[in-house]
Amino acid sequence: MGADLRNEPCLVLDIDDSLTKAVLIDKTEQGYAIKGTSQTSTTVDPPNLDVTIGAEKAAKDLGHSVGKALWAADGPSKGLRFLCSSSTGGSLYMMVAGITSMISAESAQRAALGAGALLIDVFSKDYPRPDYEMVERMRSMKPDIFLLAGGTDGGAVQQVLDMARLIKTADVRPRFGSKYKLPMIYAGNIEIRNQVSETLSEERYATKAVDNVRPAVERENLGPAKEAIYDSFMEHVIVHSPGYSKLVSWVDEPIIPTQAAIGKILYAYALERQVNLLAVDVGGATTDVYSIYHSVFNRSLNADIGLTYGISNIAKMAGIEKVMRWIPKEMSEREVRNIIGNMMVQQPPSLTSDEILVQQAAAREAMRLAVENHKEIASRLKGVSVRRDIGDIFSQAFESTYLDMMKTQVVLGRGRVFTQNQTTEATILLLDALQPQGVTEIMIDRLGVMPHLGMLLKESPQGAVQLLSRECLLKLGTCLAPKGRGNRSGVAMWIRMTKADGTTTEDEVSFGELRTLALGNGDKARLEVTPRRGLDIGRGNGRRLEVDVVGGELGLIVDARGRPLEVPAEKHLLAKWGKSLTPNQQSFA
Amino acid sequence: MQRSCLKMSQLELRFQEDTSVKKVRRIPAQGQVLVKVGDIVSSETIVAKGTVLNPEIHDVKVYAELEVYPEEAEKYMLKDEGDDVKKDEVIAILRSFFGRSTRVCRSPVDGSIETFLRSSGRVLIRGKPIPVEVRAHIPGRVVDVIPNEGAVVECRAALLQGIFGIGGETVGELIVTVDNPDEALATELIKDDHKGKIIVGGSFATVDALRKAATTGVNGIIVGGVDQRDLVDFLGYEIGTGITGKEKTGFTLIVTEGFGVHPMEERIFNFLKSHERKQASIDGSTQIRTRMLRPEIILPS
Repeated sequence: MGADLRNEPCLVLDIDDSLTKAVLIDKTEQGYAIKGTSQTSTTVDPPNLDVTIGAEKAAKDLGHSVGKALWAADGPSKGLRFLCSSSTGGSLYMMVAGITSMISAESAQRAALGAGALLIDVFSKDYPRPDYEMVERMRSMKPDIFLLAGGTDGGAVQQVLDMARLIKTADVRPRFGSKYKLPMIYAGNIEIRNQVSETLSEERYATKAVDNVRPAVERENLGPAKEAIYDSFMEHVIVHSPGYSKLVSWVDEPIIPTQAAIGKILYAYALERQVNLLAVDVGGATTDVYSIYHSVFNRSLNADIGLTYGISNIAKMAGIEKVMRWIPKEMSEREVRNIIGNMMVQQPPSLTSDEILVQQAAAREAMRLAVENHKEIASRLKGVSVRRDIGDIFSQAFESTYLDMMKTQVVLGRGRVFTQNQTTEATILLLDALQPQGVTEIMIDRLGVMPHLGMLLKESPQGAVQLLSRECLLKLGTCLAPKGRGNRSGVAMWIRMTKADGTTTEDEVSFGELRTLALGNGDKARLEVTPRRGLDIGRGNGRRLEVDVVGGELGLIVDARGRPLEVPAEKHLLAKWGKSLTPNQQSFA
Repeated sequence: MQRSCLKMSQLELRFQEDTSVKKVRRIPAQGQVLVKVGDIVSSETIVAKGTVLNPEIHDVKVYAELEVYPEEAEKYMLKDEGDDVKKDEVIAILRSFFGRSTRVCRSPVDGSIETFLRSSGRVLIRGKPIPVEVRAHIPGRVVDVIPNEGAVVECRAALLQGIFGIGGETVGELIVTVDNPDEALATELIKDDHKGKIIVGGSFATVDALRKAATTGVNGIIVGGVDQRDLVDFLGYEIGTGITGKEKTGFTLIVTEGFGVHPMEERIFNFLKSHERKQASIDGSTQIRTRMLRPEIILPS
């Protein structure tokens, strides 16, 4: 982490379709601190049609609460750093194209998703659909930015030019501002930049060539394409939304998509702690998954999978029976379907008890679907030939995805479904949906200021990560969850815990049990965990693990329900799971 | 547990008893505008007409027809990009000595050459443009013309918004089939003479009622609630995202309150009842997310 750059307080805004949230961050003797937050409705839609009205109100409200003038007559007060991330207009809509779906198109996809985009389509020459269908699709789905990749440097030429010609034929128009040129980023074979630029002429597209996302089959280079996406987002996309040109003139750093800012702070946090991290952001309309495994960042997005606008799509994609299996009481399919339908069309600000149960059930399936999708993105580079020897057959070195719950040290939930419910409910949601294995820290974002901290990274990398850890993340607990299955009521593992004060406790955990062990929030302890044969806690079948852990709000969480988790058909068992966790005291299932 | 109906402030937003309604009517292409500013139009008046690109594109493998390598196909082409072609017209020819094994490639449709893909020796031929037209949808006066695309029609009307709908724009005489907003729209309430009409139910429409409406030829249904399961059964597919308007159900459905049994808001029900037998223009198109487009019922004054 580099040294901090500046000493001015930072006023940081994140603007989404419904809310404009302001955060004031300043230096104190103890390091950086969040001085206050405020939020107000976003004013990009009628009748206001000016995003700065909401920005000004949020900043003034915040200034009022902290006793400091944060807003002058013509924008943010002097002596402040003013930063902003944005996801209005339903995020950044992108199309990407490449030559092969598993090589260049996949790298282009990773670049776009990593830059915070919502992908509306991926085109490649080997995808089994005819060219005319691609043309029609390009025409009908208007993106904000188009990213074209293809060919390694010095590699394929004609196929890349054919794809460029298809795009030319489609005459792709931007989502907003029919009179504007669509930003077109070319990140393919570096040797044919000029020919591609000529094909995608200046009259139709604002074309910019950057370094290849896949300069060689075995190498991926996403940085330049991502930076170009940020630039185009700032220069061509957001300025078409009402009031943004004024906002752009005020900010001290380029405005970037909210999801990109979240990705940046999560990446910095995982690198700082040297951990593998899996984060799920369950929103109203979309569900994002971020992962950092062995310092490789990936983001995937399930558009139209969310807990208000996107809740019907969860039932459609997962199947209504998959949602219903998580509801811990008897409800008819009609009741559940009507609740889901009404949550989509009405987006109620407060929920009835039945609606909460249905929403939590849907959240589990949203996360499950999103993580399944994420496995496709968080994968080793395809197209690279790998040699396996006999040892590799037993290792996961060549598994298709990086995602491995046994090697995931941190699991993080983000979204109202985690913060509006009790910590025990948030915990069980994450345990059920993501099924962590081995030893995993379970956390949620309690303040919702990750985008703000992502923006702060440029100002103060250390400060941003410290704030994330100290003020933003709520550590629910460290979870012990053996992989494998056993006999219900038979012993699953023996736990010997030695706390920092030297006291030692011993526990026997039965298979099927879910409970907490007392360990103060932030307190450290040494664990010796011995799983029964057939179960693995991280060292292999039946092998003992010694590990240092930290307690959270719930202390130490012991989940011996087995992996993969089997959801019981008996509703009373499901209801019992829901009551098994208690904040920082021992309880029994 | 049922969620209560919308709050009064939300109701005010979606129910304006007397307001100016302006409708932008435009074709999705350049064409001919058939009205001028000041014209009085009916809901059926054609405002503009033109043609749109035919989405049908035929992928013709020229190289395969000529039995040559893909990259060689270019030299045998008779047509360029943009050229019009007739069905069965020769677009590429490979002549051999004495014409004994001459091979040709013909267009499968009337249309034009969209693109020639040199490296793969293929031609994309687009079918002939498709005629399109747009009607006024509401009776009123033309207040603006959008050159080559359409016009803006204005009228005084009552404007009501539903919460969810299926099907697009339609017009018809308003018929209230129930006595009070608590009553369900049952099959027996839909009569043969409701063909072409917009019928108003109370709290709920059964799946059988939806099916009967379709077979009767009803133009529209306005009702407080419908079971999501029934709607899925009626449509034949799951409702995923809240984007509707293109369904081919034969009629437009507007749900005013929500999924399940929901008595229609009394004020709305009484208003619709007081406008019985009047002409209504309705649109079930819904976009729940960013644009927040809700289905509309327009009752011109």
